[in-house]
Amino acid sequence: KKSRHHGAQPSCCTQCLQGASFRRFGNTLSEYFDQLRIWHKTLKIIGAEFGTSVLSYFVFLKWLLNFNIFSFLINFGFITIPQFLAAEPNNLSFTGLELFTGAGYFQQTVLYYGFYTNATISKIENGPSYNMQLAYIFTVGIYFVICFLILLFSMMIFFFRSFVPKTFSVNASNLFCIWDFNITNERAVKLKQKNLHTQIKVQTTGEVLNYSITERLRRTAIHLIAWLASLGTAVAACTGVYFLSVNNLKVRPESGQAAMLVLPVIVSLLNTLIPFFFSWLGHLEKFQTPGQHIYVTIIRNTILKMSIVGILCYYWLNVVATSESQCWETLVGQDIYRLVLVDFIFCLLGSFFGEFLRRIIGTTVCIRLGPPEFDIGRNVLDLIYAQTLTWIGILFSPLLPGIQTIAFFIVFFVKKVSLMRNCQPPRKVWRTTQMMTSFILLLFCPSFLGVVCFFTLRLKPSEECGPFRGLSLMYAAVDEWIQILDSYTAYRWVVWIYHNLIKSVLFFFALSTFVLILTYLYWQIIQGRKTMIKSLRSQITNVSLAFSCIFCIIWLFC
Amino acid sequence: MRWKSKTPCSQKSKEPVQPTNLSLCLRLFYRYRDLAPQLVPLDYSDKPAVTLPYQLIGSMPELKDNPFRQRIAEVFSEHGDGNMTLDDFLDMFSVLSEMAPRDLKAYYAFKIYDFNNDDYICKSDLEKTVNKLTRNELTPEEVSLVCEKVIYEADVDNDGKLSLADFQHMIVRAPDFLSTFHIRI
Repeated sequence: KKSRHHGAQPSCCTQCLQGASFRRFGNTLSEYFDQLRIWHKTLKIIGAEFGTSVLSYFVFLKWLLNFNIFSFLINFGFITIPQFLAAEPNNLSFTGLELFTGAGYFQQTVLYYGFYTNATISKIENGPSYNMQLAYIFTVGIYFVICFLILLFSMMIFFFRSFVPKTFSVNASNLFCIWDFNITNERAVKLKQKNLHTQIKVQTTGEVLNYSITERLRRTAIHLIAWLASLGTAVAACTGVYFLSVNNLKVRPESGQAAMLVLPVIVSLLNTLIPFFFSWLGHLEKFQTPGQHIYVTIIRNTILKMSIVGILCYYWLNVVATSESQCWETLVGQDIYRLVLVDFIFCLLGSFFGEFLRRIIGTTVCIRLGPPEFDIGRNVLDLIYAQTLTWIGILFSPLLPGIQTIAFFIVFFVKKVSLMRNCQPPRKVWRTTQMMTSFILLLFCPSFLGVVCFFTLRLKPSEECGPFRGLSLMYAAVDEWIQILDSYTAYRWVVWIYHNLIKSVLFFFALSTFVLILTYLYWQIIQGRKTMIKSLRSQITNVSLAFSCIFCIIWLFC
Repeated sequence: MRWKSKTPCSQKSKEPVQPTNLSLCLRLFYRYRDLAPQLVPLDYSDKPAVTLPYQLIGSMPELKDNPFRQRIAEVFSEHGDGNMTLDDFLDMFSVLSEMAPRDLKAYYAFKIYDFNNDDYICKSDLEKTVNKLTRNELTPEEVSLVCEKVIYEADVDNDGKLSLADFQHMIVRAPDFLSTFHIRI
């Protein structure tokens, strides 16, 4: 007799089937990537020793790595390879320092916008030709649309997995889901059991503290002051960065190449040091739950990083773009290259000082501290910051995703080694599935800085370099192309679509109205189902109550 | 039977095994064979009746330190004694792989937590679970308090124990379940 075959067959709803098919699609994809055995083995070891929460950082890093490889292939294939065919010789000298500054020799390479030609490339006389202007604008434009869709869909999939309708059984599902079957390391298992022990103990004894009114006022005041302090720091950092960068633009020609590195080093220093101040503030505030603490710190750090990136964008678009320089797009590209590189170096230094030295101190000098824990929040924010820079820079330096891929690859292995050697498994229990959702949500917010690219479309491109030289707007390239198409009768439909759909406000108005109506409809359906669930649930309880009453009465009569 | 055919490595499935699943199955087969190379033949075409004892299965690095290892082996073994044939072994890691559907995982999780095999998770089962999770370090009063809380919350039909339906209702939408009830092989 097979014990597992009898018993109620689990009921199946269409929802689960949908979920399964979604998941199966994702799984087939992830299985193909899993064929790369290094990833698989590394991830398995990390999961076994540190649990799913630390693992999710590495899964996210792997996801970003794949994403950047994809972006690199698109840009390399559609922009860079055609450019090689029409390349001019590069007569600048290479000294090696350029690797850090991105200037000099690299100005005349495919790394930057300024080097690309505005010509139409054709190798054979009267054969097919390749219009660089159109290629550049369409590749970048379509890339951003694809990015948006990928982010939206992965957010949807992760949200679908982690979404919890208001359950009535928090403790119960916690108890059954809390054991992480991934963990197989003996030390980690013991630590996890100890943590669960204290957690359950706290749950059974601890109740939510009720504060008096004065106490509550005091706490609110402290929170307010902390928020003001953190926002003030962010504003101060932004102002500092802005004036430094304006100043830097003025001195640039006279001083040497080292002066170019001042701005990125200062930005990275601010990005590394201010989070320590924020976490100190968080300790002062004494949050009720560790979850609140983590989320508030993450939000403050995100505000800081994004406002620094925002102020840099403002500087690039309003100061550099209107300056008298020969090719402002290349200057912006160089700035972003330096930021990416210095951020990468700081990331490596961070794992040296934050993890290696911290372990030495924690195990020899001050044994009470013990080895450090892997700081998931800080590390994830670093990744998101790096990815945001790549997105902003993609128009000015199309090969940036390639550089970022190499950087992420090195970061993956450095972080892995540092984690295995220096860190101990985290003591706090994280909600692991929701983490991936929040990572991608965090990634989604700055992706709106890609809007920067659309602002650049409104700026005048440089006169003497780049694929759009001589045009009044980058977008004018598309207009010209449509005018050419207008003379061919076979392509009239493209022209019609362009004039009546893409350029018409009315169409977008109708489209957004339609989407809003659809959303409202679905929202109403969900509300209806919620009411239905509530009434069914009360019916179940009533029926079982009625049954037990009837049994009691029958038993009494007998 | 419908549920069986959904496991990625199931031998009984009518549809041909997909190549990606095949790689997982092969990996699993070699892992199984590595446990006892002298017992398990490489050629399975004449379906030899090989069963590996629990001592070998439980010593795998993936299970060695898992507090539920014995229970997992018992649930998936054919006679409920923890000794496994290749089929049982494939079933076990298929259900625990990330490809298994949520409902199937929930079904087997229920089996694992149902220590006395009575198709209900009653209070004694819950006490065992809590003790395994915390290495017997809670006092009996604390344990029974936790168990009462859990039953009070999750028991929809008020019969004092959790049926499969109760369990699924609770766990199917729990966010962490899929990522934690998963062993990478």
